[in-house]
Amino acid sequence: MNSSLLFIVLLGLTLFSYWFGLKRSLKVAGGPEHKKDLTCLPEQFGLLTAMVCGLPALITFLIFNSVEQLFIEHMLTASLPAHIQSLSTIDLGLYFNNIRSIASSETIHSLIQTIDKQSINSNNVMLLEQSKAALTLKELNLQATWLKTGLVLVMAVASVIILVRKFSVNYKARQKSEAIVHALLVASSGIAILTTLGIVISVLFESIHFFKSVPPAEFMFGTQWSPQTAMRVDQVAGSGSFGAVPLFAGTMLITFIAMLMAVPVGLMIAIYLSQYASPKLRRIAKPMLEVLAGIPTVVYGFFAALTVAPVIRNVGESFGLSVASESALAAGLVMGTMIIPFVSSLSEDAISAVPKSLKEASLGMGATKSETVIKVLVPAALPGIVGAILLAISRAIGETMIVVMAAGMAANLTANPLDSVTTVTVQIVTLLTGDQEFDSPKTLAAFALGLMLFVTTLGLNILALKVVRKYREQYD
Amino acid sequence: MTKSQESSTNTKKMSNTTSSAKTLSITDKVNMSLNKRHKKEKRFKMMGLLAVIFGFMLVLTLIGDITSKALPAFHQHWIKLDVDYKSSSLNVNNEAAPKLLDQQLQSANYRKVLRESIYQMFLTETGKALSRQEKRQLSQLFSTNAEFTLKDNLIAEPAQLNEKVNVWVRLDDDVDSYLKADFPLGEPGLRITKKQAQWIEKLHTEERIESRFNISFFTASDSREPELAGIRGALTGTLLTMLVTLLLSFPLGVAGALYLEEFAPKNRWTDLIEININNLAAVPSIVFGLLGLAVIINLFELPRSAPLVGGIVLTLMTLPTIIIASRAAIKAVPPSMREAALGLGASKMQVTFSHVLPQAMPGIITGGIIGIAQALGETAPLLMIGMVAFIVDIPTSVVDSATVLPVQIYLWADSPERAFLAKTSAAILVLLALLLVINVTATVLRSKFEKK
Amino acid sequence: MNNMMKSKLTKTIFTLSLTTAALITTITSVHANSRDTISAVGSSTVYPFSTVVAERFGKSTNFKTPKIESTGTGGGMKLFCTSNAINTPDLSNASRRMKKSEFDMCAENGVTSITEVLIGYDGIVMANSNTAEQMKITVKEIFLALAKEVPAKDGSEKLVANPYKFWNEINPSLPANKIEVLGPPPTSGTRDAFVELVLEGGCVEFPWIKAMEKQDKSKFKEVCHSVREDHTYIEAGENDNLIVQKLLANAKAFGVFGFSFLDQNSDTLQGSIINGHAPSFEAITEGTYIVARPLYFYVKNAHVDKVPGILEFLTEYTSEAAMGEEGYLTDKGLIPLSEERLMSIRKNVLSLTPLVLTE
Repeated sequence: MNSSLLFIVLLGLTLFSYWFGLKRSLKVAGGPEHKKDLTCLPEQFGLLTAMVCGLPALITFLIFNSVEQLFIEHMLTASLPAHIQSLSTIDLGLYFNNIRSIASSETIHSLIQTIDKQSINSNNVMLLEQSKAALTLKELNLQATWLKTGLVLVMAVASVIILVRKFSVNYKARQKSEAIVHALLVASSGIAILTTLGIVISVLFESIHFFKSVPPAEFMFGTQWSPQTAMRVDQVAGSGSFGAVPLFAGTMLITFIAMLMAVPVGLMIAIYLSQYASPKLRRIAKPMLEVLAGIPTVVYGFFAALTVAPVIRNVGESFGLSVASESALAAGLVMGTMIIPFVSSLSEDAISAVPKSLKEASLGMGATKSETVIKVLVPAALPGIVGAILLAISRAIGETMIVVMAAGMAANLTANPLDSVTTVTVQIVTLLTGDQEFDSPKTLAAFALGLMLFVTTLGLNILALKVVRKYREQYD
Repeated sequence: MTKSQESSTNTKKMSNTTSSAKTLSITDKVNMSLNKRHKKEKRFKMMGLLAVIFGFMLVLTLIGDITSKALPAFHQHWIKLDVDYKSSSLNVNNEAAPKLLDQQLQSANYRKVLRESIYQMFLTETGKALSRQEKRQLSQLFSTNAEFTLKDNLIAEPAQLNEKVNVWVRLDDDVDSYLKADFPLGEPGLRITKKQAQWIEKLHTEERIESRFNISFFTASDSREPELAGIRGALTGTLLTMLVTLLLSFPLGVAGALYLEEFAPKNRWTDLIEININNLAAVPSIVFGLLGLAVIINLFELPRSAPLVGGIVLTLMTLPTIIIASRAAIKAVPPSMREAALGLGASKMQVTFSHVLPQAMPGIITGGIIGIAQALGETAPLLMIGMVAFIVDIPTSVVDSATVLPVQIYLWADSPERAFLAKTSAAILVLLALLLVINVTATVLRSKFEKK
Repeated sequence: MNNMMKSKLTKTIFTLSLTTAALITTITSVHANSRDTISAVGSSTVYPFSTVVAERFGKSTNFKTPKIESTGTGGGMKLFCTSNAINTPDLSNASRRMKKSEFDMCAENGVTSITEVLIGYDGIVMANSNTAEQMKITVKEIFLALAKEVPAKDGSEKLVANPYKFWNEINPSLPANKIEVLGPPPTSGTRDAFVELVLEGGCVEFPWIKAMEKQDKSKFKEVCHSVREDHTYIEAGENDNLIVQKLLANAKAFGVFGFSFLDQNSDTLQGSIINGHAPSFEAITEGTYIVARPLYFYVKNAHVDKVPGILEFLTEYTSEAAMGEEGYLTDKGLIPLSEERLMSIRKNVLSLTPLVLTE
């Protein structure tokens, strides 16, 4: 039977063993009326049995699946004629691909029959060989499936039998099942944690590789970014300078424009919604902000490239300014739109966290609402607001799609928002689409840039956290 | 306020009677500054309101712009052709046995039949045959898919062989855009020349042209021809990728959160892990793409462009979010509940699974759904792992090559054909609708759980 | 929370974890399947043609539609030449002929039997938006505009860093705009062809540089092939469609890409007149528009009977309906081969004659 059927059978067995364990525990106690004699509930016995049935069998299943093909290939190779066996690994792999597709076709038996009937020539010999090999493969697959089924089922049943023999009135079924669950939890969080660490390690690893060919000083402080080095020995291309300063500058310019738009608007929205707005308005405004936050960035990028940039260009031209078709302004404004919900919701949290007593005291002294906000609430909430701004900056720096679609590719070192600049994220995408060999400084530069991004956003986040913690006044 | 006004007017009266040319009294000063402050207040409030309105305007402009661009994508122009399925033109032997005939019909020359029916429509007008240039221009008006439409039509009803029938075929996207742009009939525009415009005018007066709802947008997969392109492949790829992401990230994330919150010892290592996870939630998504490329494709050699790999990369991205949301939900369970259960003799595991987890479930599920919604709109990491190829076949399993909707939008956005502009906008609307459905589900689920 | 909800919840968690387990079993058994989709990588110029053929192929046969990725000719060659393993591409599209160094690299890695398919011709144009003035320019002037180092203005046989910022500094009859050219990066075959046909063509018009070719070939190459890196020539990635869009938005910029892109956007773009001839079908076929190059794709013969459909795909590609003078590839802007040439290529291709590169 195939894998899915086996899986379902295993599932059925597991459920059955739950019932079996339960019944068995009652039997061991001497009947349902002696249920109270057991140290644990019958259901817990059942659960333990189910786990013992299912888990070892599942693990066997998974291990078998992983190594199945290797073994089959090994055995198949051994059965092949000598001249096939001597092929290189790659050619052998190609041969296998061929055999596999023949094996999965329906007509294999009739194919062999027709070949047998025809006269033997060189073509037929090869075809015959292949068909025989395909048949062998089919048989091997079948044997493997039977073996797998047998192993899994035996594992399941044997584990159950071994377990229930140990059942006694004092058997600590519950503790054992909890220990298993505990182990499972440790395992899954282990995977989760390992992956989070793995991300850091892999980026670090490749970046170190990069810094072996390009000195960190040149990368961090150089102003010439021409990473497009030659593809071949006889090609003449870019000089391969990896000074990332123009990229940092471009990122900062666009982020700055984005913050110029997002901070005032976001803050004012936060203040208005928390202090002035009627519940009705708040009910409409909150979803509106969530919509802004939920729109995928590729949509923002599309909007920026196709609508905003031409508008800015036309307006600029009518004023006589020379505006690039992918100005930093266009990308920055749209990015600002995307960040508004961040700033506003985080600031609102910060402002609401200020104890009411301060607000009421200020109002009681005769201050107007706006004066209360400006002179009391905002300063009190300032650490939280600053934290929100830092987090928003970190979001803007890491943003990819908006800038890929709306910002340029020329590593310009400029402060003019009407010029086109490129950012760190755009270059990562550019460097990695196309040539993806992991030995050229060009590809590795992408990892170094990724590392820069990671470190910067990490730093900003930690800073935000520290600011909030350190300067948060204790009012209560 | 009225009292002070009253007293101030009294004082005013008094001071007026005593000395009118004196400097302003304190009450006057107070009144003046009060007015200024009230004005400031009003201005401030107005600014706040303007900010909120500005936010609304942004959302409306964005959605309105995209919707207006997307509308042309939902209908398409078709044309009625008089087709003569001559077996001689098709290069088919109609005396042949049925099975052989079927095979012949599969590979018959439908292009010739199509050309004949097209040229014949205009032969009568000019009286003479069309020049080669004119023939080429004429056939450009029709979709490259037209001959396949003729083929499907004949294979569906083989009795039509050697019959004259009416068949509706699609027009080329250039003609489609031209007609949608409402140029005056007979006038050239976009990529339609004067001659072509006149032909279109003739077809229009013969009532051969019809505009239909573009169902193929949803049922067809990607194509090089804008009039044929659809999002089915991308949607299927998105669903498969989301499935993988959900199935991998949810159990791992919740289990991890449970362990870290309930069972793990509180020492420096767990603190470090907490910081690491918190930061990863804020790492730019493109870094995960780098990881996917380096580790998953190069190290584990999984197939490129597969929803499986995309799902794994997105899982890495969503794991931190789910862990953090689940931890917050678990933390929010009141300690009283935990202590009560422990007091009654429950073990830690029983407390967790019978009380804490069900109580925290609404928050966990909401967090999970929001994480999935974020992953749905992600493009950058998937660009790195190769989901940017031109893939036409609909994926049937998680290891087939596929693409996802955001990447499809990104790819179409680069195409200069006008028709792709409408298609891209329409695809964006579909994506936004999908996200809306997911978010609404999350909200509904959350309120449903919270009621109980 | 009542008991019913609790058990419901437990059941949901249970089923979810099970499905995950099922998924993990799928992951571990992934390597058992064979690949049955043809995979092609390479040039962004050939991409529009290959995808059209692929789509038709998928529609009219029972084979899977080939998967085509646009990586640039250079990048594609690298992937193609990695090895003969089943997870490497089967076809490599190229907008220039395979270089000897690439051929050797392939051979080193075991890819010894490659079939070359010449599919037709394509011109390289320097285009701008048709709302601006059409430029009349010579290759020598393009060289002066885009090279990294140019001969000094005073006529001495010295090279200086390129000082020209505006077109009319090179030739007063050219527009008074800043030099801004968007073109392909070194991964692109179009770049290689442009550099060889235009830049090299322009720089040999200086007799002393031409003499350098015989004396010091590598210095000659460096001088004639290096493109300036001061943001006047902007490398705009492998996406020619993107360049087209940027030209539409910026009427002062020029773009370097294949003629097929100009043809497909003829209502909004115009090609510059180079050495007296505008790019057109006829001009390229006759050879009067000198910036023309052939387009190829390469087949890994070792994969031909291992991945289903490669031979049938080649048949469709080299068929009269596709590559013929009235074929559907011509509709997409490809300049077709002559009938005799097509027939001989078809014969070679379908018999998988291996390529031999000597130069």
